[in-house]
Amino acid sequence: MPAARSTREILQATAPIALAVFVFGVSFGVLAVAAHLPGWAAVLMSLLVFAGSAQFAALGVITAGGSVLTAIFAGALLNLRFIATGIAVARSLPGGRVKRALLAQIVTDENYALAVAAGEPGRPDRQTLLVAGATLYGVWVLGTLIGAALGPVLGDPKRLGLDAAFPALFVALLWRMLSGRHAVRCALGGAAVALVLAPFTPPGVPLAGAAIVGLWLAR
Amino acid sequence: MAGPLTLGLILGLASLTFVMKAAGPLLPNIPAAITARTAGLAPALLAALVAIELTGPNGVIHLDVKVPAVIVASALAARRVPFIVCVIAGALVAALLRAAFHL
Repeated sequence: MPAARSTREILQATAPIALAVFVFGVSFGVLAVAAHLPGWAAVLMSLLVFAGSAQFAALGVITAGGSVLTAIFAGALLNLRFIATGIAVARSLPGGRVKRALLAQIVTDENYALAVAAGEPGRPDRQTLLVAGATLYGVWVLGTLIGAALGPVLGDPKRLGLDAAFPALFVALLWRMLSGRHAVRCALGGAAVALVLAPFTPPGVPLAGAAIVGLWLAR
Repeated sequence: MAGPLTLGLILGLASLTFVMKAAGPLLPNIPAAITARTAGLAPALLAALVAIELTGPNGVIHLDVKVPAVIVASALAARRVPFIVCVIAGALVAALLRAAFHL
């Protein structure tokens, strides 16, 4: 059984990830303002949602001219994976069900991965989950704040290629998830269905089609 | 975007995310068969988002600077380059091509 880790050790392990999350938060703030979201809204979204890929996905839909409902739908579907991580961390969190459900709000892909690496098999490390989670939450919100303040100074987002940042980000996130044949199959199926539906249907439909194909091809 | 719509977006996404993150600790007995299937959602959606980003207003793939940007980001991501670098490289490719060809 690994010895309990000190806060200092956890912070050292978290530091490089925190830096990446910070830069990511800055880019979210910049892109949100470029998508004509007020600065306060970008910060509020990071405060309340705290799920980078979903926030970017929602913003991507809005930037592409999709409706608010489509944006919520895209972001929420991406977050469905947190049901699985929630189950995985439930036993590691302290307190009763309600307290655990509240603490589970600071679980993201990054601190989950750190906690799994630091914990025993089937039991992610509690301290790592909480300390790294709180750190990442802080830098994510701070990054968004700075990005939202910086955005208007940067000028035309297209001239800076910021519109290309969305597909670049999504493809980079996708590569991380392509472990195993099932994931590759789901990705190819999702893209194919979206492309077939896109010319004939309003913006939300291709994503819904991709979601159904993803669920269907997952096993 | 108008204020109420913006607030609707934020609160809608926030409350759904809250429910999903809370579900595990509140309902620890969700069948594994269901959670295993949700694993297929993220790759399918991300791939669909990439595809949609590359289509024009008519819904058909549109060859502009986003295409080379995605190819470069994808090639970097495949080499396990940190993803913020992939994103910056993608944006840079788009910005440089636009500046070079006055697109």
